[in-house]
Amino acid sequence: MSTTVAPESILKELAALWTQEGKQGDAGVLRACSMTLIVIAEADDDAAALGETIAALMPQHPARSILIRLLGERERALSHRVYQQCWKPFGQRQQICCEQIEITASDPALADLPSVILPLAVPDLPVILWCRSARLVRRPEFGEIARMATKVVIDSAADGVTSADAIDAIRRMADAVRTGGIFADLAWTRLTRWRETLARVFENRDTLARLSEVRSVQVRFGPGYETAAWYLAAWSANALASVGQVVTPVVGRQDESLCLELSGGMFHVKLSRQDDRLVTVVNEQTNCTNLPRPADYHMMREELGIVRRDAVFEATLASATRLAVSSSG
Amino acid sequence: MPIENPFQDPLRFERQTPECVIVIFGANGDLTKRKLLPALYRLAFDRRLAAGFAIVGISRTPLSDDDFREKMRASVEQFSEDTKLDDDVWAAFARGLYYVSGDIGDAGLYQRLGERLGQIESERHTGGNALFYLSTQPSQYAPIAHGIGAAGLGKGSGWRRLVVEKPFGHDLASARELSDRLHEVFDEAAVYRIDHYLGKETVQNILAFRFGNGIFEPLWNRRYVDHVQITGAESIGVEGRGAYYQEAGALDDMIQNHLLQVMATIAMEPCASFQATSVRDERSKLLRSIRPMTPDEVRQNAVAGQYGPARIGGTDVPGFRQEAGVGPNSRTGTYAAVTFFVDNWRWAGVPFYVRTGKRLAKRVSEIAIQFNTAPLHLFNQDSGEISANLLILRIQPEEGISLKFLSKRPGSGMTLRPVSMDFNYGSSFGERSPSAYETLLLDAIVGDPTLYTRQDMVEASWSVVEPIQNAWREGTPEFPNYAAGSWGPAAADEMLARRGHVWRKP
Repeated sequence: MSTTVAPESILKELAALWTQEGKQGDAGVLRACSMTLIVIAEADDDAAALGETIAALMPQHPARSILIRLLGERERALSHRVYQQCWKPFGQRQQICCEQIEITASDPALADLPSVILPLAVPDLPVILWCRSARLVRRPEFGEIARMATKVVIDSAADGVTSADAIDAIRRMADAVRTGGIFADLAWTRLTRWRETLARVFENRDTLARLSEVRSVQVRFGPGYETAAWYLAAWSANALASVGQVVTPVVGRQDESLCLELSGGMFHVKLSRQDDRLVTVVNEQTNCTNLPRPADYHMMREELGIVRRDAVFEATLASATRLAVSSSG
Repeated sequence: MPIENPFQDPLRFERQTPECVIVIFGANGDLTKRKLLPALYRLAFDRRLAAGFAIVGISRTPLSDDDFREKMRASVEQFSEDTKLDDDVWAAFARGLYYVSGDIGDAGLYQRLGERLGQIESERHTGGNALFYLSTQPSQYAPIAHGIGAAGLGKGSGWRRLVVEKPFGHDLASARELSDRLHEVFDEAAVYRIDHYLGKETVQNILAFRFGNGIFEPLWNRRYVDHVQITGAESIGVEGRGAYYQEAGALDDMIQNHLLQVMATIAMEPCASFQATSVRDERSKLLRSIRPMTPDEVRQNAVAGQYGPARIGGTDVPGFRQEAGVGPNSRTGTYAAVTFFVDNWRWAGVPFYVRTGKRLAKRVSEIAIQFNTAPLHLFNQDSGEISANLLILRIQPEEGISLKFLSKRPGSGMTLRPVSMDFNYGSSFGERSPSAYETLLLDAIVGDPTLYTRQDMVEASWSVVEPIQNAWREGTPEFPNYAAGSWGPAAADEMLARRGHVWRKP
């Protein structure tokens, strides 16, 4: 297996691909690019599913994508391949193509990755790093790659992440945000529909008028929802504090899924997941909406649409970190 | 003071729409079936409408609520271009569809409507919010507004808004009279005059292109721009609208509203903010800066046309006078081309050529900005002519932006060739763009009038168009003067040739 990768040769291969495309297609190709998307995944991450996710993202967020597959602890290996992702929009003759680079690296070669990635980023456009490897986030090489990125996306609630790892991840993120980094956590992105539903409840003038009655915020969570619970509790408390309602949220465990309750006096709002549905109860009124578990594609599509600071998330992250650290002991 | 909803997160949440009921007058009409219902259904499909949203259709034909729901379902199935009907979404949407029949001149209709609105408010918690959409003959706008007002429906516990379709009058006096009649019931702030051109994604993109980028605005003036061409061409004829079209004509139907609004968007000064008032103030100011013409100037700077019969692609195509509902001696123009000048410091002396027509060579709407040529011509050109830089903003059919510039032809020697750098809006972003009606309906529901036409803008447009109408009315046009399938009358080419310009063939 190859042990070196020359960025210059990758760039030449990319140029050759475009020349080749130009010669082949009689209707020509359009090159589309709005960012560089770096995706880091472990070798055992489902390659086909990940490829489909990246391909699906391209029409909305055309990008030069750099997929880095981590081979783990084995002898030094570093190799690459270059290809294109093309599609033909309905009813049009011209193809749209995006560049894709795949780099494979074992742990001994991780230190070389930043020098390979740096020249491959498209000039003058944002660089988004989506790190799917919880293991890499804890390694020193991650910091250097993250510093190249305009925005870093991680998932503190990915499969296999332990409670301690999750707390560690959001603590690291909060530190990085304090020093100017832009971060996103897919555990937070999964909550968008929950938060939107709660916001809708208070769009009703009568319900909004009862906000001052809220004295308690309770979040209960099952396995896999720990960071989501802290985020939800911190966000609710921050929102209430912004209108002068100071409430200390209570976060506790339950058997499964997630549940948020705001209450006080005769007023009660509860959001909970039941299978693929989000059940909203406002006093006696119950509403049920479809809430399938969002796929990586939906969450990344949302995150790629926000290439700037997210003040709500950053405030929530800071509060959630305090909650999580204090609850862990 | 009422508090703001602290749970809102505009960065991530879709724009929240309030609960409301839309009352559509002319619910059996073509516009409702082809545009309004498919747009509203798509908004429901995308979860953009509040749960308690409702629609009341009004028309003369007696129908039950269920009959109306069936008819609307058929319309959505037939006319939704890119949305397949989903049974679950439709079932929820259809529960909010109601129908009231009656004659718009009958006071009883508005009483029944009031009762129905009260019932819907208690069932669906619409908060008293109502949007009245007049999808009827323009002559019915004022009587309907009067009926709404007389029944006390112009005011309620929530907001009340009125949406009217063009034409807003047929000249300056009638436009003012219509506004006065509407204002008897609705304040100007509650009157939404819809111009679907402004709802098109690409027209909105003109603002993004001009004011979101620093590179173009310094060139956007008389010093660098030679002239501007605005084209709104259709390849089809009047398609059964002969009777209506005979009253309006190309000048009133397209230039007075759509194309002058596009021109205002292209030529307006930067606004201080993207607030509705700021944007509309600048558009209005630009429209008021367009120089009205004297009858002599009209002869030099405006050309009317009417298409005659032709054979296109092996098919015989009738002339306008042979269309159903059109008189054999009709003097209605199906083509209009006008040279406008804007009397302000930015644009003084720059011609804005605006043209529109039926049965032209192809369907295309675009704005072409031709820049001055380089002051010295150092190189040979393939065409033997000096090519100017062109910036083309395409509105339809393929929305996008192209920049034409000169590049060296590969090989030895220094010969230049024009090349085009294209940005295709629909394909660079694979995401579906909302239709103009989706955008504009949503704006009306949330109370954002940025893309709607204000009374002063309507009046300013008529002030520019009316002298042309008057001059044309006095003349005897030699119609037909262009063949169906061509790019319009020769006189329009001569109009540009007088200033050394030629029409683009887009």
